[in-house]
Amino acid sequence: MKTLFHINIRTPLIALLLIIATGFVARAQDSRIQLASLDHLAAKANQTVDVAIDERLIRIAAKVFSDEKTDEKEIKQLLTGLKGIYVKSFEFETEGQYAAADLESIRSQLRGPGWSRMVGVNSKKEGNLEVYLLLNGETIGGLAVLHSDDKELTVVNIVGPVDLQKLAKLEGQLGIPDLEIEPAKPKTKNDEK
Amino acid sequence: MKTFIAIILLVVAPTFVHAKNDDFNAVVKMIEQFYGVKHVGIPFLAKAGMKVATTAARIKGGQARRIAEAGSIKLAVFEDQEFNGDFMKFRTSLNGALNTTWMPVIQTISSGDGEQVYIYLREAGQKFHALVITIAQRDATVVQVTLSEKNLALLLKDPEGTGKSITEEATINDQE
Repeated sequence: MKTLFHINIRTPLIALLLIIATGFVARAQDSRIQLASLDHLAAKANQTVDVAIDERLIRIAAKVFSDEKTDEKEIKQLLTGLKGIYVKSFEFETEGQYAAADLESIRSQLRGPGWSRMVGVNSKKEGNLEVYLLLNGETIGGLAVLHSDDKELTVVNIVGPVDLQKLAKLEGQLGIPDLEIEPAKPKTKNDEK
Repeated sequence: MKTFIAIILLVVAPTFVHAKNDDFNAVVKMIEQFYGVKHVGIPFLAKAGMKVATTAARIKGGQARRIAEAGSIKLAVFEDQEFNGDFMKFRTSLNGALNTTWMPVIQTISSGDGEQVYIYLREAGQKFHALVITIAQRDATVVQVTLSEKNLALLLKDPEGTGKSITEEATINDQE
């Protein structure tokens, strides 16, 4: 009887715990987008860069940045709390080497719950820049940058809370390409008139 | 049932240990088989090992600094041979062989000049092993080194640059 009681109580309890745990895992992985659909482009590309740095490696990397120098301190703060940095970048010799479907395979993920496209973010580089943020309530859960032009396609996915205003500081660090991102300027009173 | 599990463990365990401990040699063999090339023999490697003792790498800023932990370098060199082959197939094979025990950090393929660079990491107690595979049109190197946490951080800050420095450290004789 005791055993039966234990089975009766334990089974739904374990099931409940599993459901809760699965929910947490799913939430933690939400802002990581799948980039493998782009892998086939490497065969056509002149230059391919593929970067994957997970949370543990980010924590180690943060140690190399100084607490003394303002710039490095900002990068260090920016890295704190990040769970992953993933980059895929392709440069092509000629135009038309990637299809709209390749972009769509990324954009379709960024239409998922929580993701929203940032407006007013520009790049000094030629081409089309799209920046998406994953918002978990008031906090930022992740970021995706999609830069495309006739001969280039780059996707940067940062998992974790990332300050968009400081994102530009990460460019050129940890394998993140220099996209020359210019964050949207805060609105002034004149803009509102 | 227990006997069955014991048999499975006996079969699987040595394979796993072999794969983890011998990935360096496995990668060298993979390059040889895939491209039909041969790495330079043991006498040269012994010589290279001696060179390594006095080697320093030049990293950004022109500072001479040793990246690899002393005595930790494994090196295989392929010289003046043809590296013609489908790099996508090679990359898939390489990742398939290493991804269970190593973390791929950065992989760059430049089809224009035929250069491929792969950097993998794995934990080694308090330190880390880095495996840097560089394949150019006529030469290739496979370098495995042990890194301190500090030097791993350098590698992560600038994966491509530090990866090159690790290869240089293993192959270039310091003139100082």
